[in-house]
Amino acid sequence: MGRARDVRLAYLLLAPALLMLSTALAYPVGWEVWTSFTDLSPLKDGATAYVGLANYSRLLSDAAFWQAAFVTVGYAVVTSVAKLALGLGFALLLVRPFRGRVLVFLAVFLPWAYPAGVSVIGWYWTLNPPTTTAYAPFMGHLKYVVDGTLGTGAWAFTSVILFNIWRGSSFIGVLLLAGINAIPPELFECAVLESKSPWRRFWLVTVPLLKPFLALAVFLSLTSAFADLANVWMLTAGRIVFPVIGTHAYFLAIKAGQFGPASALSLTVVPVLLGVLLVLFRLFDPLRREAT
Amino acid sequence: MSPRRWWMKLGHAGLMLLTAVYCLFPIYFMLVQSLKTPEEDVFGNPFIVTNPTLENFEELFERKGEVRGFVGDALRRSYPFLDWLANTLFVFAGSVAATLVASVAAGYALGRLRPPGFRWWRRVIFATYVVPQTILFIPLFQVMHVLALDDSLLALLLVYPSMALPFCVWMLSGYFEHLPREIEEAALIEGASRAGAFFRIVLPMSRPVLVAAGIFTLGTIASDFMIASVFLLSPQNQTITAGLGTFDVALDELAAVAGVNLLAIPVVTISAVFARGFVRGLTASMVEGS
Repeated sequence: MGRARDVRLAYLLLAPALLMLSTALAYPVGWEVWTSFTDLSPLKDGATAYVGLANYSRLLSDAAFWQAAFVTVGYAVVTSVAKLALGLGFALLLVRPFRGRVLVFLAVFLPWAYPAGVSVIGWYWTLNPPTTTAYAPFMGHLKYVVDGTLGTGAWAFTSVILFNIWRGSSFIGVLLLAGINAIPPELFECAVLESKSPWRRFWLVTVPLLKPFLALAVFLSLTSAFADLANVWMLTAGRIVFPVIGTHAYFLAIKAGQFGPASALSLTVVPVLLGVLLVLFRLFDPLRREAT
Repeated sequence: MSPRRWWMKLGHAGLMLLTAVYCLFPIYFMLVQSLKTPEEDVFGNPFIVTNPTLENFEELFERKGEVRGFVGDALRRSYPFLDWLANTLFVFAGSVAATLVASVAAGYALGRLRPPGFRWWRRVIFATYVVPQTILFIPLFQVMHVLALDDSLLALLLVYPSMALPFCVWMLSGYFEHLPREIEEAALIEGASRAGAFFRIVLPMSRPVLVAAGIFTLGTIASDFMIASVFLLSPQNQTITAGLGTFDVALDELAAVAGVNLLAIPVVTISAVFARGFVRGLTASMVEGS
């Protein structure tokens, strides 16, 4: 009796969250999946036709898709590795007390806390300033050097990577600091007795104990990189010389009016992320402790 | 002090300094630009400001009709910045409140009441993060149109919580799951109702986790640029983020950087005040009682 009431109450309490998520996601995702099987386009007269897997099979033979996929994976891997390394470094620096720790901690926390929706605007103008500003010649020079060495658009793409790392390493640092705080200090004291080498202790004690937090950090970092459209968009001002899947799909949908292929394209990242998530769930899902 | 220890200390201090500079330089740079006069922006040293002025900030609040003057032939618009500020406050406060209420309710349901399959509920909610937002705004626009919310701040209130909810529900349900049951049961035995025990005992105890969820939500919604600029069209309905996106960079660079800082200052202050609670809450949500 009591249990049945609890279950009913549970569903009632779940309702607001599920309602919000489904307003924002259920219909849009359904639309996207359906559209990816059609040739829906605002530019086309006449009825929308069902085309089956044509949009997907065309993607696989499209060089532009593979280029975008390649750049996206590279972007995700490079930023994630850098963010993890920096974030872990920050967390390890901050874990032991020293004078001024609060200030350094706040400094580490600020890049994430600084509202990215506008800081990306600030970054854009810092790295690509209007020609009148005092630092414009320097930034312009840097841009030509980078673009000249790595190809046109390289500077813009580098700035996207730098921004992503700057903001992400802050969040991951704070998350891993919370993780280290969760480890009982006795374990570290035991480890000091076991091994003299800090390097060995790091790999044998710190990393395994931090695994759930590292896994969570990897997942959040990968999803933000794969879904990254806004940052790439803002910092390159729409010029996609290094297209990622996000900007490529945006162009297909908005500029070319091809809703079908654009939907198929943006859905290609879902199986990849879902696969990553299923692997990582084993590491960070708190329920694993009592599940088995 | 042995020389070796002395060197270690120096290295440690050096690393700290490097960390602080790396983290703070971009923020410092934006702050310096926003305090400059146009003359200094063109001729001065970019890294310092010698005659700090608030005129860029004042300029944002001036509203003298649509036309503000000319630079050469170019028309300088004026912007309804006060409206943007009010809209931003409304959307941010509303979204954080809605997210917290919904995720506390869902977290309690999944962590404490545990309906059948609660682990999978939690996993499915968290897994919504794999959906890329890329072109989702096209169908989302249809949804908002049906709900008659196009060009309305309420549209953002519906979308923003969904960006932070999965993580918050996951965090809060983990926390409630590991909270010792005896705490609640003692209150129930003394005659408190389930709701009474929750509001008087469980909720006050969960403060750090609530702080962590709130700060995470604030950071997440403050990072949105796309949704705000797609859904808010008329200038008086925009948030600061959406509005700044419409600035003409070449003409209003300094005012725009001032606008960036005007949004950043309150958000950063709130986050900094709760920063330590944020860490404590993250820790608590993952380990407490396990």
